[in-house]
Amino acid sequence: MQPLKFLSDADVQSMHEATMQIMEEIGVIWTHKPSLDILTDAGCKVKENRVLFPRDLVMKSAETANKRPIIRGRNGTVNELGGGNLYFHNLGGARDVFDARTGTHHAATQEDCINATRALDALPNCNTVTPFFTPPDVPNEMMALHMFRHMLSNTTKPVQGPGIQFGHEAKYAVEMAAVVGIPAHELTLSLSPVSPLTMHDVAAQAVMDMAHAGVIHSNLPAPTGGATSPMTITGSIVQQSAETLAPLVLAQLINPGCGVVYCGRLGMLEPRTGLIWGGVELGISSAATVQLGHYYGFAVNVYGFSTNAHTLDAQNAFERGLNASLPALAGADELSGIGEMEAGVMGSFAQMVLDNELAKSVLRQRQGLSADVDHLAVEIISAVMDTNRNYLASKHTLKHLRAGEMALTKLAERNSWDTWEEKMNRKQMADYAIDESERILREHTVPPLEPQQEAELDKILAAAEKETVKKR
Amino acid sequence: MSEELYKQMAQSIIEGEKEVAIELAQKSIELNMHPLDTITKGFVVGVNYIGDQFGAGEAFLPELVMAGEAMKAAVAVLEPELLKLGEAREVMGRVVLATVEGDIHEIGKTLVGTMLSASGFEVTDLGVDQPADKIIGKALEIDAQIIGMSALLTTTMVRQREVIEELDKEGLRPRIKVMVGGAPITKDWAEKIKADGTAEDAVGAVQLAKKLVGKE
Repeated sequence: MQPLKFLSDADVQSMHEATMQIMEEIGVIWTHKPSLDILTDAGCKVKENRVLFPRDLVMKSAETANKRPIIRGRNGTVNELGGGNLYFHNLGGARDVFDARTGTHHAATQEDCINATRALDALPNCNTVTPFFTPPDVPNEMMALHMFRHMLSNTTKPVQGPGIQFGHEAKYAVEMAAVVGIPAHELTLSLSPVSPLTMHDVAAQAVMDMAHAGVIHSNLPAPTGGATSPMTITGSIVQQSAETLAPLVLAQLINPGCGVVYCGRLGMLEPRTGLIWGGVELGISSAATVQLGHYYGFAVNVYGFSTNAHTLDAQNAFERGLNASLPALAGADELSGIGEMEAGVMGSFAQMVLDNELAKSVLRQRQGLSADVDHLAVEIISAVMDTNRNYLASKHTLKHLRAGEMALTKLAERNSWDTWEEKMNRKQMADYAIDESERILREHTVPPLEPQQEAELDKILAAAEKETVKKR
Repeated sequence: MSEELYKQMAQSIIEGEKEVAIELAQKSIELNMHPLDTITKGFVVGVNYIGDQFGAGEAFLPELVMAGEAMKAAVAVLEPELLKLGEAREVMGRVVLATVEGDIHEIGKTLVGTMLSASGFEVTDLGVDQPADKIIGKALEIDAQIIGMSALLTTTMVRQREVIEELDKEGLRPRIKVMVGGAPITKDWAEKIKADGTAEDAVGAVQLAKKLVGKE
């Protein structure tokens, strides 16, 4: 289909100009000496504690970057980002688990972390898996590596590394990926610059380490519109774009041609509670971010499934449906958020199952319509009019039904009232999702790693632990 | 040999391949296979399979229709052979189908007719816009055990009640059982107008018809 143009070409051009102006004239707070040297050598100016990026340098970096990176799973699945396909991945780093069966929530346990990866491994429309929950009792510096280590054992799909904060995390994540056979240039790691426009020393060091290793990096600014970025959505997006492009420049100077994914995680401020807003502006921001990222030719990864809701209720369904649909139609390359609830603080197994189904519907929207001779079906219309005036018995009907003209989702309730009441016991979509999530956790097994691979991963984790303890 | 052929026959129905089903029926005649065996051990197995799959939500309506059409076509080839042998396929029952007066929708009813025929019922389909006297007259003429009435519109479904009241007045029930169907028809409605039953879909209609003639 034609990607939906949420913004006019002129508006996109204006946003590009504004982004360049921010980078050239306002700059990014940057104090990390080794990376500052690289940037100034390449022509960046320093004004007080900020780096100013010349537009030519930014555009050259955008040019040299590998904008169509490939990520691969240990099962051989390949995701070619930026190639026109839409890939889905789950929310990363949620704190709590919503137990949809009982309607209660609890802090994620180690078992939840492992089960989440297993469940995502089983859901066909989750194309890439990233660590879902944060494990308990793990120090901050070791969190990302713990999450990554458990994920590698429990899925064969392409993995998205965890969001990292420190340089040493990149080094050990690359080592761990190598154990399961993922080369560094097919591993993605993400790093969040701090909004507004701030690169902390540890983050700058992490970008350097990722670039040296050749890792595909997703710079993942997460501004909050109205608090850490402007209240206006286009203003927030141009600030976010500058935050995405600044570390990209550094990475391309260190390792020209290394892979990158252009990301946006803009959420608006909930103005009454101070929390993050899960309403439809999130989908709008994501759609506009996709358009701006595509202006530079990048593969774009944005928020999709998202809501503030605490249960599998009406608000949940309409917010995540709208928020996933809009950026997908705008041409997003990756959508995030499978399993997300409560604006990213919480997640649930039943929600993952529901999002797997929603993803199928979104893919159907994205697939669009064909107007070729076979689809226009004039010959079929003629033949049916000449015979029984009934398309049910036409081979054309079955052919296109099987070819995906309709996304035949399974969880949605589509029976008559009588059947629903008598045969289905008044079950609703969420009930089916709960059943299915429990079935998956009961039955789904993941091909294990070799024992020596497990031992190797433990060894790397222990080495990382030792290094951080020393630093502390 | 015949076992393999039976399997192919069932498969031709499952795949809705009418032409293949006709060819296989003709082949069975050339091979002097008994036409009744051909139907019951071959083609019927396919119809039953697709019916079960549909009931379980695993097969689609077009697949069901195409299977029914293929079955009808195969049986049409074999029936003259049965007659030659002086035999007939066991008739499950005789059914008159019609869409009620004032209503011209019939895809659902036609589908029910196809599935009833495929399952061994003798079906007389009067078509659309049929008044009560015509429906009842035909039922008496062919000595039908079942009248099946369809209505798509909430404005025409009331006509189903008229036919039932007429049958009651003439004292023709329970000799003639009444099945009602159509998009707006619910179990409550069927009970309210004192019909003998309704079903959600064509597979359910076949089960209901079998029940009504005591051949479950």
